[in-house]
Amino acid sequence: MNRNAILALLGVVLLGFVPFVMDDFFINLTSQILCYALFAVSLNLIVGYGGMTSLGHAAYFGIAAYGVTWLHTVAGWGQLSSAIGAVAVATFTAAVFGVLALRASGLSFLMITLALGQIVWGVAYRWVGLTQGDNGMRFPVRPEPLGFNINGATSFYYFSLIVFVVSVYIIWRVVQSPFGAGLRGTKDQPRRMRMLGHNVWMIRWVAFIMSGFWAAIAGLLFVYYQKFVSPYTVSLQQSAEVLLMTILGGAGTLTGPMVGAVIVTLVKNVASSYVERWNALLGLIFVLAVVFMPTGLVPGFRKLWKRRTAPPPASTPALTAKPSTEHAS
Amino acid sequence: MSAAALEISGLSKSFGGLHVTRDVSMRVAPGERRLIIGPNGAGKTTLFNQITGDLKPDRGSIRLFGEEMVSLKTQNRIAKGLARTYQILTLFPHDTLLHNVVLSLLGLRKERWDCWRTLARRTDLFDLAAQALAQVGLSEGGDRLVGETSYGERRRLELAMALAQKPKLLLLDEPLAGLSQDERNSVSALLTTIPRDVTIIMIEHDMDVALAFAEQITVLHFGEVIVEGTRAEVVADPRTREIYLGE
Repeated sequence: MNRNAILALLGVVLLGFVPFVMDDFFINLTSQILCYALFAVSLNLIVGYGGMTSLGHAAYFGIAAYGVTWLHTVAGWGQLSSAIGAVAVATFTAAVFGVLALRASGLSFLMITLALGQIVWGVAYRWVGLTQGDNGMRFPVRPEPLGFNINGATSFYYFSLIVFVVSVYIIWRVVQSPFGAGLRGTKDQPRRMRMLGHNVWMIRWVAFIMSGFWAAIAGLLFVYYQKFVSPYTVSLQQSAEVLLMTILGGAGTLTGPMVGAVIVTLVKNVASSYVERWNALLGLIFVLAVVFMPTGLVPGFRKLWKRRTAPPPASTPALTAKPSTEHAS
Repeated sequence: MSAAALEISGLSKSFGGLHVTRDVSMRVAPGERRLIIGPNGAGKTTLFNQITGDLKPDRGSIRLFGEEMVSLKTQNRIAKGLARTYQILTLFPHDTLLHNVVLSLLGLRKERWDCWRTLARRTDLFDLAAQALAQVGLSEGGDRLVGETSYGERRRLELAMALAQKPKLLLLDEPLAGLSQDERNSVSALLTTIPRDVTIIMIEHDMDVALAFAEQITVLHFGEVIVEGTRAEVVADPRTREIYLGE
């Protein structure tokens, strides 16, 4: 417990030093990673802890991004009220979509979330009067939270870092709480949970709404960073990418989706300037991860680490030799 | 007359042409030990599933201490004092024994919606869970994962999870299934220590244990109540022999 807290603190401190050692390109890239990491962590709440795999999570991310842009530029609301309004609309959408999707579970749940996500994409793409269709919408100026100017790469990075740390801390509390335990219970044994007096449907619905809410916060970060939102933001590709981050890093762990977000974003932004088929590279990484670490990178490496550091029982040589042979195969 | 712990009347359920429960009526008095027996496929577990709300009956009424249950969802029936164990172990294998019991305790508490406080720090709940484990003879090793325990220990955990809720009516679905003779003896001894303010209905195939435990016996066959009465009455009834021995 305590060791984890120290590690988390160490991580935050290291992230705080990023602007001192990197140039603007990488600072911006790290801001982007933080945004996607929060997005993936939000999705993990239902995928990893609740066992509900969604392929439509970009909807809440994108609705918040579109919402804040529309409210600010078209309706003329202030920055803060636009942000609150956009998160409220996205969260409400999650509440409604949750009711529809939770009529099913497993594959059917996945298909319903996919279909609902496509509806949102259709609106963004076709309802040109509202969303300017394929052209997308520009978000002119970043807000000034508490009077701070966050237009520079470094200041925006620190803004993102604060939002990210606070959000992840709250999500972490939820995961450790009685509600979080109940959510994990509904993943393993929904029937037993009902038999113990838990309202399984309600637990899932609340988790779904929470997940939508945090995706919306990530969506705000996204549009503040890009200053632009287009139908791609709510597309199936976006939903699939964030699901890939979550599963690649390790669903059901707090750090897994973050690791996934780092890898996917790096491959997308850095490797894509060297390798033309970066999508294929991403696919290859995913396939390798699924074959060698089916539960994701973080749980996979944790297991390796445990095996290396475990107190050696009677058959020491065989045991220490094992990880290396597995690498070779 | 005070309300029965459980009163079922005219309960029927069919899957297509298959009548799994036919017009079943039974009355279980508070504090009673009732045994339900019958050959495989007689509809015993199906009857349990309807009492708990896992399955919706086509017709009939189920009253718990005088209160109609049929339209209630499972979790609301549990809140009225109903608990059950499963014939096929239904536990949380990746969690500790204590955590399993804590999930059971949370099921009846408002704190289950608490999204902020750390569950692991709720020593009050973990103490209660440890007590429930001690009650079934698992006072040691409650911090082990369920996946690392023996089958007998898991059977006891099933019981601990049900007992932790302090139910008024406890449904036991083959609590001795798959246990060795020694374990059978100790678990059945444990069952006799459950206080009389808990009414128990049990499905069990081990006749020695079951007959020693129960005061009233209901025999089900093809979804129908064939014989009902005291131990002696049911054993003496020719229909019981007919079902069990095919005479």
